[in-house]
Amino acid sequence: MAVDSFRAYLDRLADGGDLAEFEASVSWNLEASAITMLANQRDGPIPAFRSIAESETDAVLVGDPYRGSRERPWDRIAHSLGMASDLSGADYYAAVIDRLSSPREPRVVDRPAAPCKEVVKTGGDVDLLSFPWPYIHQGDGGRYSNLQTLVAPAPDSEWGRWSSHRMMLHDETQASLLLLAGEQVPNLYYYQYERRDEPMPVAAVVGAEPAVEYSADMWIPSGRSEATFAGGLKEEPVDLVTCETSDLLVPASAELVIEGRVLPGERLDEGPFGDYFGYMNGPRRSMPTFEIDAITHRRAPRVPFCVEGSGVGYDRNSSSTLEVAAAGPDATLGLRAAGFDVEFAVPWRFTSRTVWVIATDCPYPGYLHELANFVFTTWGMLHIDFFVFVDADVDPFEPRAVLTAVALEADPDEDFHQFGVERMPKVPLNIYQTPDEKEGADVGTSKAKTAKAYVDATTDGEWVRRHADEELRKRARAVLREAGVSGAEFGSDESRGETE
Amino acid sequence: MIPFADYLRGLRRDDDLVAVTDGQRGDVPVDVLAAEALDGNGPALRFERDDGVDLASGVFSGPDQMHCRESAPWSRLSLGLGLDAEAPLVDLLDTVVGLGPTGTPGKTTYTPQAASRTLEDLQALSFPRGVDDTWPVISLGVASITTDAGTHWAPVYGVVVGTDTLRVRVPASLASLSDDGDTVAIALGVPPAAITAAYLLAVADRVESPIRKTGVEGAVPLVPTNGGRVPSATEVVVEATVADSQPDFEPDRREAWEHAVAGASLALDVTRVVATEDPVVPVSPVGRPMADDLQLTGLTTAAHLYHRVNNYWGISPVEWLLLPPSTELGVCFVASDVLYAGFEWQLANILFSFSSLFDTVVIVDGDVPSWDFGRVLSDIWVKAHPSRDWLFSEPDAPAAKRPNYRQDGTTGARLYVDATWDPRWDDSYLAPRVTFEESFPESVRELAREFWSARGLEPADCDPISDGLDGGPPE
Repeated sequence: MAVDSFRAYLDRLADGGDLAEFEASVSWNLEASAITMLANQRDGPIPAFRSIAESETDAVLVGDPYRGSRERPWDRIAHSLGMASDLSGADYYAAVIDRLSSPREPRVVDRPAAPCKEVVKTGGDVDLLSFPWPYIHQGDGGRYSNLQTLVAPAPDSEWGRWSSHRMMLHDETQASLLLLAGEQVPNLYYYQYERRDEPMPVAAVVGAEPAVEYSADMWIPSGRSEATFAGGLKEEPVDLVTCETSDLLVPASAELVIEGRVLPGERLDEGPFGDYFGYMNGPRRSMPTFEIDAITHRRAPRVPFCVEGSGVGYDRNSSSTLEVAAAGPDATLGLRAAGFDVEFAVPWRFTSRTVWVIATDCPYPGYLHELANFVFTTWGMLHIDFFVFVDADVDPFEPRAVLTAVALEADPDEDFHQFGVERMPKVPLNIYQTPDEKEGADVGTSKAKTAKAYVDATTDGEWVRRHADEELRKRARAVLREAGVSGAEFGSDESRGETE
Repeated sequence: MIPFADYLRGLRRDDDLVAVTDGQRGDVPVDVLAAEALDGNGPALRFERDDGVDLASGVFSGPDQMHCRESAPWSRLSLGLGLDAEAPLVDLLDTVVGLGPTGTPGKTTYTPQAASRTLEDLQALSFPRGVDDTWPVISLGVASITTDAGTHWAPVYGVVVGTDTLRVRVPASLASLSDDGDTVAIALGVPPAAITAAYLLAVADRVESPIRKTGVEGAVPLVPTNGGRVPSATEVVVEATVADSQPDFEPDRREAWEHAVAGASLALDVTRVVATEDPVVPVSPVGRPMADDLQLTGLTTAAHLYHRVNNYWGISPVEWLLLPPSTELGVCFVASDVLYAGFEWQLANILFSFSSLFDTVVIVDGDVPSWDFGRVLSDIWVKAHPSRDWLFSEPDAPAAKRPNYRQDGTTGARLYVDATWDPRWDDSYLAPRVTFEESFPESVRELAREFWSARGLEPADCDPISDGLDGGPPE
């Protein structure tokens, strides 16, 4: 059974020995994030900090709670959804896709039944800085809440639109929100509310139940609702409750809800920030102003955060894990729904938001171009620069297989395709553009455009068989186990998640 | 110099070699087990056989770099060459180069031949037959012949087609030094330094250089045979005459060095087989991912190229260079200082000049350590601009030998990916990395270390492979 709150998720982590609770006092000022980054680097347990120095509340900071293990990043997410442990990547994707195919309408509960209303503060009682928001990296522009779900109005859904946008705190009632034009909620703000000179009501939900967090990291097409897909993921309706200061509905089990408005025509500094590329990006930007009207929360709220930038290369963090474990299955489903016969779409493990691997057949000439064109103009527009296409029988969860395919099958002469030269939008978080190229745009995209590319690493001719037949391989693994060879790769075929 | 048998004992002592008995193996072919162990990044294997010679697989390969691991793909070979398993890659590359023509020959040492037991014929050794093979195979051998210039070594593999007949593949340059009726010795189970030297001579196309003019002379005690000189500690020596220097023989599989240089077939009549009392010889699952011959070809080619580019311009800007087996030698990765704008173009294209294996070069900044291949596989995509830094040549370059495409000789483009900072950029443009060292002051780092030490969470597996630039995170 799926967990139904963030703290229930933490309990499940603790039951599995995956949570390290620290009672000693830790500062929100770099200390919590340094401890978290070390855990990320060492593939250690998830740290929870129960005593935060200089904090006016009894909040518990939790560092990168969704980080998965290096070799099987989806395991903790699968566990939270009540799925079998030890699923292979392919089986995990299949299970998530199966649940996303059966969305469930959410359920609205009364305020007294909503745990997120245990403490309600409005008006002059609102103090954003009373919570221990972490200062994450030396050189960041400020303290951040960066593992949260932003709930915004949706013209086509009564349940609102959920997505992930970080915010940098400025004072007791103001923060800047990273809204990048091209994404649904930012578009709503920049091209509807702001043009009408209206504030856009939003709520930043911190510590939402896991299914909510996962669905917020998915690209749900307009006309559909993240809330229903979250229900599908957990196989139960998500409980929602009405905000104190707007009509927005927020997940009732959330740890903390920050209600307010994104003001039209007003900007605050945002960044620099150590970002998902693994580098500090700058320069400082101007981003829309989030004016806080109310804060509701559970007692002793659990406040998750992500040490962004630490999920590249060999290491994982929450955001890189959510890309693989949430965005990947959703993208696979989305591509299939759009008529593309893909096996799987999986973020590249070493830099998950910049390049994706798609295992697919290539049924007709031009198919890969169509596929890339579809993605680059929809959900892959801002963050993804590259797609690598491999044959449907290449395992996209196995980076060596992908790298081998690129090395042997991608001909520099005809298999590297650039979608025009510097005609595409790009987020200014990147590090390959100069500061001059990045700054100046007022809707969150770089002033200069970029290129997008795809690499066709599918076979053109005869396929070269590289392994013995699978039955013989299974017998070989059994022999090796009997001889004393250990390690995840030599576990039983059941434990490796292989299906007959 | 470490004899092969001692090398295996060392691997077993380090828990990096597992024995597989005939009883455990059943009817699963040796090459399938060897391939599976390598594919799963497992230990080396020793096949303890009731009949025939013992076999050792995976001893010249190792785990890939696709995950953070406690050892590198080259850790075993480092041990075999007398280095620490944790030795930086460049130490290994320097050691490998030192075994070849640019190394300094030492004083020749002759010691008695370890293989003192004469066997009736080749069948007594029961070489293994792979799952897809027609004949029993030998692999990872050193062919030794004598010319007026001295003894020449090259890698050899082949098949056993009778009690006293071998069909083998050797570099064409070695075959050209012999005629029908000439004698040749095939040494199996040689010290790691000897097989490494043979591979280096092949991939550098220097087989015509006698070993007395290479660094392996003096590094490995030798013994004369009816062919050429071989390492004294060799486990099995097969002496033969060339029956046919142009036989009609196409092997089912080819060792990876044949991607780099032309090979040729020889038919050999075996005249004598000698072995140690308890012989053990290496076997590579040729053609499978991470196979020993693939790793040896990649490392010796990397050593050769590393040495050439670092001695070409009178300076040594290249920090390290790799042809990872995970790319099947089809991509060359190089970490270098970019001395001036355009140097990256020069570097990539000189590598294309020096090797025809690959037509893709990836250049990363010189401060990227070789052990952190995960960072390389990230920087390619985030640091290189998708249009400005993925640079293609005119489409009239010859096809590379290793990739599967354009093997009909059609010309095409070459590619280099420049994942380095542009030297023309102002320093303020260079984005600092998010790392434990750069993102936190020392006092905070110390606190974080203490927190986890108290809970027994030690550095990750891949951390120990490092010190300084090419090793270890500075943490």
